[in-house]
Amino acid sequence: MSQLKSNKKFKWALDFNPKNKSQTSEIPSPPGYSQSTAVSNAESSKDTDSNLLLIKKLWDVALGPLKQVPMNLFIMYMAGNSISIFPIMMVGMLIVRPVKALFSTQGTFKMVEGTQAAGQKFVYIIGNIVNILLALYKCQSMGLLPTHSSDWLAFEEPILKAEHIGGGFSML
Amino acid sequence: MNVKERGASRKAAGREVRQASGKTAASEKPRAKGGGCCNRRCKRAAAATPHRASLHTCIHTHTNKHSDLRYCTAYTVHSTSSSIHYKNFVFVTDTQLKRLFILVTGRRQTYVGRIKFAQFDTVSTAKKIIVATEENVLAALHLKTGEIVWRHVFESDSSGNIRLLHVGDKITTVTGDNPYLVRGWDSATGVLMSEWSLTMQDGSRAEFSEFWVQNGLLVHMVPIYHSHIEVTMYNLMTGSNRGATSKLPASWIDPGQVISICLFTAPYYTCVSRDTPSRMLLSINVTSNPIQVIRRSLSSIMQGAPGHLRALDGNSVIPGLIVEDKKIVLFKNNDFKVLNTDVPHYIASATVADTARGPVVMQIQSSRGYHLIAHTLSGELVPEVHSPDSFYDIEEPELLAVTCARDQLACRLLMNTVDEAVHLVQQGGVILWSREESLANIKSVEFVDLPVSEADAALESEFDQKEGSVWWSFVRRLQSQVQQLQVLVERLRSGEVLEQGPASLHRDYFNLHRIMVLVTEAGKIFGMDNLSGSLVWNLYLPTLSGARTILTRRAARHPHTAMITIVGTHADTGNGYIVTLDPITGRIVPEHTVQLDLGILQCMTLQETGDDQLRALVILDEDEAVQVYPPSAASLVHNVHMYVADPDTAIVKGYAIRYNGREVVSERTWSSYLGGSRLARIVSVSSRSRLERVRSPGRALADRSVLYKYSNPNLVLFVLEKTDPTHKDVVVSVVLDAVTGAVVGASSHRRARALPLAVHADNCFAYMYRSDKHRRVEIATMELYEGKDRWSPAGEPFSSSASWRAPVVERQAYILPALPTAAAFTITERSLTDRHVLLGLSSGGVVEVPWSFLEARRGAVGEESVLPYLPELPLPAERVLSYNLTLPRLAALHTSPAGLESTSLMLATGLDLFYTRVAPSRTFDLLKDDFDYYLITIVLAALVLATYGTKYLASRKTLKMAWK
Repeated sequence: MSQLKSNKKFKWALDFNPKNKSQTSEIPSPPGYSQSTAVSNAESSKDTDSNLLLIKKLWDVALGPLKQVPMNLFIMYMAGNSISIFPIMMVGMLIVRPVKALFSTQGTFKMVEGTQAAGQKFVYIIGNIVNILLALYKCQSMGLLPTHSSDWLAFEEPILKAEHIGGGFSML
Repeated sequence: MNVKERGASRKAAGREVRQASGKTAASEKPRAKGGGCCNRRCKRAAAATPHRASLHTCIHTHTNKHSDLRYCTAYTVHSTSSSIHYKNFVFVTDTQLKRLFILVTGRRQTYVGRIKFAQFDTVSTAKKIIVATEENVLAALHLKTGEIVWRHVFESDSSGNIRLLHVGDKITTVTGDNPYLVRGWDSATGVLMSEWSLTMQDGSRAEFSEFWVQNGLLVHMVPIYHSHIEVTMYNLMTGSNRGATSKLPASWIDPGQVISICLFTAPYYTCVSRDTPSRMLLSINVTSNPIQVIRRSLSSIMQGAPGHLRALDGNSVIPGLIVEDKKIVLFKNNDFKVLNTDVPHYIASATVADTARGPVVMQIQSSRGYHLIAHTLSGELVPEVHSPDSFYDIEEPELLAVTCARDQLACRLLMNTVDEAVHLVQQGGVILWSREESLANIKSVEFVDLPVSEADAALESEFDQKEGSVWWSFVRRLQSQVQQLQVLVERLRSGEVLEQGPASLHRDYFNLHRIMVLVTEAGKIFGMDNLSGSLVWNLYLPTLSGARTILTRRAARHPHTAMITIVGTHADTGNGYIVTLDPITGRIVPEHTVQLDLGILQCMTLQETGDDQLRALVILDEDEAVQVYPPSAASLVHNVHMYVADPDTAIVKGYAIRYNGREVVSERTWSSYLGGSRLARIVSVSSRSRLERVRSPGRALADRSVLYKYSNPNLVLFVLEKTDPTHKDVVVSVVLDAVTGAVVGASSHRRARALPLAVHADNCFAYMYRSDKHRRVEIATMELYEGKDRWSPAGEPFSSSASWRAPVVERQAYILPALPTAAAFTITERSLTDRHVLLGLSSGGVVEVPWSFLEARRGAVGEESVLPYLPELPLPAERVLSYNLTLPRLAALHTSPAGLESTSLMLATGLDLFYTRVAPSRTFDLLKDDFDYYLITIVLAALVLATYGTKYLASRKTLKMAWK
């Protein structure tokens, strides 16, 4: 416990009283180290590499939903059209995941700036919509969508009478 | 649980109840012997219900001497209509067991019909009254209670007609009509002891034959007019003939010329001669050996007597006659003996009974209240046997039987009344018991809602008032709450339990408690409580006769009382007779009770009501004119149509009833001869029940499209029977639109005879016929469909005159493995529940058949919602609603919706009355009877406690953590 506490202390504590502030600055540079060249080099490489990497990474994210489509198709095929707990769970996941992703698009692409941001977002949204459509198709083939007239039968108005009849055998 | 299993468990349960009652009786002995809790019997349920392990009954007897309570463990009874599941320990008394049985099976009341002959059975130890009735029933009634000890129901036609009842050490009956059946019965158990038949050679004289028992021999007498009297004697047990038939010469018997009237009072055959100057009373004792004719002139008995005779009633110990409803003439020592005492009134009934003071003539009448007087044969008044001036409701009594004690003057009189009630009266005038035998012949039944209680009515009226400001409604709210509080306090103070006693005729929460208004053939109208089966009121209308129908004019709704109208014909004039009653109290509403000057062709009530919530009565009289009661409602008549079917000519006429601004007129709009080229007869007519509502406009198919029903509310099903040159008899069913007269559907069955059973609900039709070709009963069904598209836009009222398209008619027929005598559809409040057809069978059971077994689309290809077609219709024993009860001569089934959607109320009428509740889709809207309220409450309370406890503990823990 005490160990943990001390660790915590080291992790989060800020020491406002550095005992050897002067010592750190007084350490000489190692031999062969040129401060000016290092700075300029780092500047240029960082600018190109990290940008490319980010774009690549973001394209990965944007294309992610589309890449899931074949997998989803396979799952859908495997799940079958019977209505039981596992296919229903799968269909639920198929719908819920892209919807959630669509709502969190802004968060996913928060740090993106640049020329390809609009395209990436567009592809990402398209991918999710494709997934939703796939899920809906699955629901349709499972018969879960109220698309038939019998699904609305309970809401149809009962028949009312316009005429009233009475009678039977002659009572004479 | 599927249908089969459920039924099986129900049947097993029914058996269990009986086993249980048997066990209680059986366990009497060990209880008396042993000291402690001694006898424990367990019975596992039938192996047919392996899935229900708890279905067993254990009866323990307990040594409580003061009460006959019995412990019954794990008492499980299941049925489609109600499910009773008593776990743990239930105290069961015999009466409770009976009540439980009633709860499961329904309630039955047994009747015998109007009593024809009755005799006191004084020979056997258990005192009984043996009766034979006009319903061809032989029964033994308990002397103390009037309950039926045993009963035999004979054939309903003339072959079951009881001609003689003789009670000796065993009971002898002669039934039938050449051949006669002579049967001997054990009086204690009703077991048949002997039977032999007697056939007359000359069948034409059979109707004049008379039977009686004399000296242990059955005597059969036939008068042969103009010639002789044949007398034959038979051994009662074996039927062996003692010697040949003796022929007594009596050429003077010829009704018509010489003799005006003849009468038989065993063993004397008496006639009145026709010759006017000296009318003679001629009598002959047909069993005496030297034949001797006794004569006496009528004028010596009574001056100016035209010669009207009637026999003494009620098994008179001395044979006798009443001449001119005035003088009593007895046969004594082969001579006439005219009594000094006169018959006081022409409707008075007289008999001679053996008492401690010798034979006594007893006379009863009810011209001014029930009155009983007795005289000895010498004319002295017997003061002990009399009735005080009482005002009993005994209408025109007729003595059936009299029994008197040997040692003292104490007599009991069994009497029949003109309203078909039977009373056993003590000589002092005390009615020991009464039986309303007119209930064996019910013509018409109506279930009537009870009025809501005062508190509910106040609440209703409170919300009815729309006008007034917010403050006024607040004040009204406060007022009604004060009222409710007062009612509560009063109830608590008086300790009255809610909904008990006959006084609380108030609507219950589920509207299960009703008054059944029963109109009988005799003209007596009853109000019967459907839960207890007790008669709440009765009303005798001697002049009401003919075909009768009951129409509800108004349901009880505060502040109006309920009103029903009985439309019939007047017995004297044959004209229309309209009686309006309050069905809760049985009081006649005089202003709505009318005797018409004309006969009634048909009648109906209007759908719309006036300001007083009263539905007007529309009557089409024999001149095809229309009368509306009350006349002020004439302006409400619009879009009203009537049809009248003549059963014998098969002509159906349709009328449009219109209000032309001044009066209501009828116009014949169509007329249809349903028979075709041949003579036809309409056997039955069925139109949609007034209580029926159609909820769903169609049904879903397997491909998830909708097949729309042709729910025309104006359809009427006619079932006809006509002769055909090639196929002998043909049954034709026609579905007509009663507004336009258009034939919507029809079908015919060759070589068949129709049964008068047809039912119709929604778009479903069913009728039954006997197939002569295959010698079996078949049930044919029809269903009408519009197709995959709805013809009219949703919400538009259906009008027959506007529809021009013909529906699709689906037809199917099934073999019924029983003979039905009554049929009805179950009706529920909103028609969401399945529909079942209830069939009353000649075997005495009421069976429910789901419509899915009968539907005309059964066997449709590619339909998974309908069953595959099988011609044989299963009638499994577990679908019998009446369980082991046999209901002889089931005549009709009446259904009514309860306030619960799942439940339909059913009354079966016939010789017996049987009431039960039917739940076609099981009681889905009710908690099961075994619902464990205690467990649920305890679990809920524990959960709430645990929630708060853990919340407290959690907060304490976080606080502790924070301090660390």
